[in-house]
Amino acid sequence: MLILVLLSLSVITLDQSGRTHHITSGIKSLASDIFSPIRSGVNGILDPIGNVFAGAVHYDSVVKENHELQLTLGRIRLQDDARGFQLRQLTQLQRLLAENHLPYLQQLPTVLAEQTDAGSTNYAATIDIDKGRDDGVDVGMPVIGAGGLVGTVTFAAHHSATVTLVTDGSSKVGVSFGSGNAYTATLDGQGPGRSLNADFVAPGTPVRRGERMYTNDLAGNIFPGGIPVAYVTAVHTTPGASQETVEVQPLADLGALAYVEVVQWSPSP
Amino acid sequence: MEPVAVTGRSAARLVVVVALFVVVQETVAIKLRIAGIHPELMLLVPIAAGTAAGPREGAIAGFVAGIAIDLLLPTPFGLTALVGCLTGVGVGRVTGSLTREIPWFSGLVAFTASAGAVILYAVLGAVLGQEQFLRVDLVALVLVVAVTNAVLAPFGMRIVRWALGPAAHPRSAAGSSW
Repeated sequence: MLILVLLSLSVITLDQSGRTHHITSGIKSLASDIFSPIRSGVNGILDPIGNVFAGAVHYDSVVKENHELQLTLGRIRLQDDARGFQLRQLTQLQRLLAENHLPYLQQLPTVLAEQTDAGSTNYAATIDIDKGRDDGVDVGMPVIGAGGLVGTVTFAAHHSATVTLVTDGSSKVGVSFGSGNAYTATLDGQGPGRSLNADFVAPGTPVRRGERMYTNDLAGNIFPGGIPVAYVTAVHTTPGASQETVEVQPLADLGALAYVEVVQWSPSP
Repeated sequence: MEPVAVTGRSAARLVVVVALFVVVQETVAIKLRIAGIHPELMLLVPIAAGTAAGPREGAIAGFVAGIAIDLLLPTPFGLTALVGCLTGVGVGRVTGSLTREIPWFSGLVAFTASAGAVILYAVLGAVLGQEQFLRVDLVALVLVVAVTNAVLAPFGMRIVRWALGPAAHPRSAAGSSW
């Protein structure tokens, strides 16, 4: 028994050590590559069965959703005529941004990926995607989707990857906000399903509910600038405190991710 | 009664059972979410082995199950193996001195051991630098994992008992209420 405990501790030490982490990471990558087809196969069998039961139980809501989708489709068709005008506006905005030397994501290459699972551990806010190193996805790349920044790739196998969400307790995102993006803060994840805290907001900083925050490209940041991240939900000023208490919610709907885009970008060394 | 050693055949069956648990955990269990939390079926392996055959078998089963699922988790490699090992030992030692005549014995053991294992995992993770493990809703996590494992314990114990074969019999024959 003692041997097994010592063996476990040795494996953990190997994994945590910077010099030997690549060994355990390689083993995990191999295991992930082996298990991916098994997972897909089992899901391929079980999902239709689950859908039959879900469809039977939620028949009314499925019909209602179908009607809503038809309504949305009709609205999109109506809006189609206005699309040409909006495209011209978009082009103008892109030019404006380029002229002001503001980074915008359209310049960066992305990899479209599908979410395969909503995280295999209860202790971290993660999702699994169906693209990996062979598709150009690597550790450290930002992931966007569903309206904003989703998180960062923290593990990449050959054909799959794990994304740690911005809500995870280990997540920290440098952001700018306010008029002319004059103010900065660090968004600190508080755990799955919880609001984020905006740290280092000095007392007296003009911040209001609903205000949007974007990644900044200050030195040392791990994200390219200009990605929408979150909006302010609550601001408290405590007399004598060294900073404002600012709560924010991710702009991306992290509970309804189907497809995401991995931005092929890495921070400057 | 003298403990019976885990034979090669039992070891092979244990590997098969652990593989089955991994597949079920990673394909079915992670989709069954209650308040965003999914069941942790792998904990049933050391709990069942410890209850059925004692601390040594519980430790072995916990280590094998833990290292297998660690291969697919983004958490520190070896952490689940350590927690599984300690859970198996703990369950084996505690249940060895308990009467098994009480109703829902396996469910009670699974509930208590699962709750302990979840807290142990979070604390050990934090000690290893993963402070975010303590930022999850631990109360909800403990409740969901403990309750689902308590419900599934009779099935899990039957499967693990089959895997361990003769090694499981000395204790389980003595009035187990599975």
